[in-house]
Amino acid sequence: MVDAALRTAPVPADPAVYDGVTITLGTPLERRSLRARDAKALGKLLGRKLPEQIGRSSEDVLCLGPDEWLLRAPAGTAVPDGAGLPLALVDISERALTLVLEGPRAIDVLQAGCPRDLRKLTVGEGRRTVFEGVEIVLLRTGEDRFEVDVWRSFASWLHLALTTAASHLR
Amino acid sequence: MSAYRLDGMGRVNRGAPVNFTFDGKSYQGFAGDSLASALLANGVSLFGRSFKYHRPRGLLGAGAEEPNALVSVDRGGGRYTPNLRAPAVELYEGLNARSQNRWPSLQTDFGSINDRLGRFFPAGFYNKTFMWPRSFWEKLYEPSIRRMAGLGDAPTEADPDTYSACYAYCDVLIVGAGPAGIDAALEACAARKHVILIDENDELGGGALADPALAAWLETSLRDLANAPNVTLLRRTTALGYYHDNFIGAVERLTDHLAQPGHGAREQLWRIRAGEVVLAQGAIERPLVFEGNDVPGVMLASAARTYLFRFGVAVGRNVAVMAVHDSGWKDALAMAKAGVRIAAIIDLRETVAAALVDEAKALGIRTELGSAVIGVAGRQAVKGIEVSRADGSMRQKLACDAVLMAGGWTPSVHLWSHSLGKLAWSDDWGAYLPDVPNENCRCVGACGGKWSFGSGLNIGALPSPRDPATFKAFVDFQNDVTAKDIALAVREGMKSVEHIKRYTTNGMATDQGKTSNLNALQLASSALDRPVQAIGLTTFRPPYTPQTFGALAGHAKDALFQPVRKTGIDPWAEEHGAVFELVAQWRRARYFPKAGEDMHAAVNRECLAVREGVGIFDASTLGKIEVVGPDAAEFLNRMYTNPWKQLEPGRCRYGLLLREDGFITDDGVSARMAPDRFHLTTTTGGAARVLNMMEDYLQTEWPDLNVWLTSTTEQYAVIALQGPKARDVIAPLVAGIDLSPEAFPHMAVREGTICGVPTRLFRVSFTGELGFEINVPAAYGRHVWEAVWAAGQAHGITPYGTETMHVLRAEKGFIIVGQDTDGTVTPFDAGLDWAVGKKKPDFVGKRSMARPDIVASGRKQLVGLLTDDPSVVLEEGAQIVLDPNQPVPMKMVGHVTSSYWSATLGRSIAMALVAGGFDRMGETIYVPMPGKTLTAKVVKPMFYDAEGSRLNG
Repeated sequence: MVDAALRTAPVPADPAVYDGVTITLGTPLERRSLRARDAKALGKLLGRKLPEQIGRSSEDVLCLGPDEWLLRAPAGTAVPDGAGLPLALVDISERALTLVLEGPRAIDVLQAGCPRDLRKLTVGEGRRTVFEGVEIVLLRTGEDRFEVDVWRSFASWLHLALTTAASHLR
Repeated sequence: MSAYRLDGMGRVNRGAPVNFTFDGKSYQGFAGDSLASALLANGVSLFGRSFKYHRPRGLLGAGAEEPNALVSVDRGGGRYTPNLRAPAVELYEGLNARSQNRWPSLQTDFGSINDRLGRFFPAGFYNKTFMWPRSFWEKLYEPSIRRMAGLGDAPTEADPDTYSACYAYCDVLIVGAGPAGIDAALEACAARKHVILIDENDELGGGALADPALAAWLETSLRDLANAPNVTLLRRTTALGYYHDNFIGAVERLTDHLAQPGHGAREQLWRIRAGEVVLAQGAIERPLVFEGNDVPGVMLASAARTYLFRFGVAVGRNVAVMAVHDSGWKDALAMAKAGVRIAAIIDLRETVAAALVDEAKALGIRTELGSAVIGVAGRQAVKGIEVSRADGSMRQKLACDAVLMAGGWTPSVHLWSHSLGKLAWSDDWGAYLPDVPNENCRCVGACGGKWSFGSGLNIGALPSPRDPATFKAFVDFQNDVTAKDIALAVREGMKSVEHIKRYTTNGMATDQGKTSNLNALQLASSALDRPVQAIGLTTFRPPYTPQTFGALAGHAKDALFQPVRKTGIDPWAEEHGAVFELVAQWRRARYFPKAGEDMHAAVNRECLAVREGVGIFDASTLGKIEVVGPDAAEFLNRMYTNPWKQLEPGRCRYGLLLREDGFITDDGVSARMAPDRFHLTTTTGGAARVLNMMEDYLQTEWPDLNVWLTSTTEQYAVIALQGPKARDVIAPLVAGIDLSPEAFPHMAVREGTICGVPTRLFRVSFTGELGFEINVPAAYGRHVWEAVWAAGQAHGITPYGTETMHVLRAEKGFIIVGQDTDGTVTPFDAGLDWAVGKKKPDFVGKRSMARPDIVASGRKQLVGLLTDDPSVVLEEGAQIVLDPNQPVPMKMVGHVTSSYWSATLGRSIAMALVAGGFDRMGETIYVPMPGKTLTAKVVKPMFYDAEGSRLNG
């Protein structure tokens, strides 16, 4: 593993604290895009049972589509590359970074720009969706805790949009 | 009009006086007042000048329907809003409002000459009058008309406010918090549904606010709703549009009513998705059409009632009522009982419900049945009226200082119509009512035709003994449309309401016909002698009332307007003085000027540095797609023009991507990382398009292929190191890769580490020099860049930007898709037929390459140009001709696509698309420019190191 001190991120390292919500840069993750027709074959390779309902997650794998999953594991987790198998694992660890929103108003901040009904997103669920015009993967990791994966080059915009929305909370 | 405040009436807070100014004059009102009610209470009757004739105008209504009293509010510092309706402006300490469309003052307006010249401006006058001479329109007619006829001035300063937005979901959304809306909310609340109740006013209650009998009920109901956890109450919120699937747009005004707007958002856009929508928007009273109906002091009876019971303001000391509907009697009687003197109730009907007539008599009110107002005395305020029997007999004058009109009620079906709900004509109402819904939506209360205002008469205009062609009786107050304008439109052949609307402008502008549409329909119906239903109804379109651009933009302002994508190395470029340019959504360093350098000097220096030493370039924005699966090579073989199946792992290939029509759409160098894994690159701007196109083919044409696509554009930072010293710079930093030319030739890829960071190291070149593209995980891009930068110091490493990259590639004749191609260029046209696999059975675009027009001679082909004067740099986009002496318009045979000064060559170079260009080598072509004609020779588009020896260093 490479020295984490050498990393840079396009958003501030310090948490942005507002009345009712704190917005923090998440820790680095091992991320893989997982694609396969057969969830079982993929699950076998990874040693996990993959969720088969879109939006559901089990352990560190979120089902994003009928043949698509997202692995989000602690940085440094070893993941096979699936060479030669009829499936695809692609390293996207650094394609996105995570913004963590925590607090009773976190849902309101996200609802400022996310058109999904987030009250219906239960703990443990996640969705690929948008915040205004920017694609995100949104996971609800607690009643008042959400993780937002956003592509790096959109992260500074999203951070500004979320902190602005947080500053507009009434 | 001599309006005045009545003691003990209304809901305003008499203990909280509020100071404000109107047209520079100071006034005082109370907390809870609107600008309209406060000015009325101060005896002000003149609020504005009309759109076309500049006639003095007062208040017509007390709500969103107000067409006359438009004001501008200036809070200073750029906080300026024109065209606000005075009844919808909440009073606050220091409010500074101005009247509009008048000069030099509201009382003395020179534009009112238009009123005398009115016969020169009939309906449609601008369609007929200003036809000739044509050139006068732009310079004279239009500016003059704009100055004379108009609304408030547009703001000239940037808006300093911020705006907010949100999405919301609910089971039941109720629009309108009058009695019907509140009842619906209480019912839904009791059923434990999640309810949002919105109302455009500062106070919830709607019509109940002007009905003291409902005050206790209102207070209890609102308290119950406010305490319910499942109810969200939104005041000062206008539902502006109703869209598909019960999606409602609404704007909540947050700071416009505050003396100090503070730092929060001014307005919030609510995007609400509702299970059920309940419309409780109420109804708007119709004015009556008669001569003088626009004199300040003539207003809707319901408005007068609201001013009295909500704001405690009597609209006059001697008030006449002109009714064709029972509701006018009820309003008059209620006002009389509250102490307002009613001069007379005039009704066109011969018989009116006995109870109303008897009560009027009991209150000592004079009544004139079967009669109509035929004239109003006074210009800036009502002084009296003239009344006659319906047949014109028994003309008499009556003193009064206000005239109330009760023409019946028009349900507010605006949102219902946005939702494409059907309407049905009701003779009882003389209006259209909601009929069949198109969404899960219902109307309650008056807007659904479910409210009893009593009965009345449906008429277009009141009868008059005078010739209707000789006077102005207003139908649309805001657009100055009169009854005779409607008659003229019909005479001139307009038969549909849509034509009449556009010919007369009836129902246009900010009020969208809220008070005028039905009267215009009735008038057209009479003139055409056809039933109202046969004339049609104009389409209701959002917004319900005018909204600010800021509210609709929501967050999307300034830095949040749209994301500017930046690479991880962008901050370094900024620190090192880069000048940036926008490329697609990205911001890229264009060049790195040193002190005193312009772009030209900086680019010359950067170019020479790459050719002679080594340059470093941030190529992170290049699109990247990882193609993985057993069928990856088969898939690419079908997508790209050239063969991919035999490419060995560790090797790279230039890929050319066509659309089905055979034209180039993208290109890029791609590498085979493993038998079943490719690392594709695309152009910066083409990344999303190429991924979509490939996904499209994969999912719809070849779903049987076991291959998957993943965007990896942002996974990697890409550092291009180009120049003869490139290898020397990275050699000490790279581990696990043999960098020697034999082990790592041009167009190869290796995996190893650089500065301890895993890398996919490409040996590729877009400059013609020895070059590497270092792909590292994006989070480490800046670190590796700085390490390479430090290691390069000993070799004179120079950062370069996109401009230098463009020059260097042009010297080698490498194309840029979208610059040297324009979507009509085939591989053959671009001289890239070498990249087309002749033996391949198929690939995207192959079939089209056999089309007759694609194989025809004389197509535009990409060539090089060398100007006869080497110091002349052609303009990109300049047109090319073969004979400069031909008459204008000349036959243009092509254009310059790329053109630069080449510091390496010490002269200019250019590329161009020229008809039959490949057969014109050595010929002279001409580029006509202003004042001169430039000449150039057609050459092969390869200006430097044609044999490619430098690549293989």
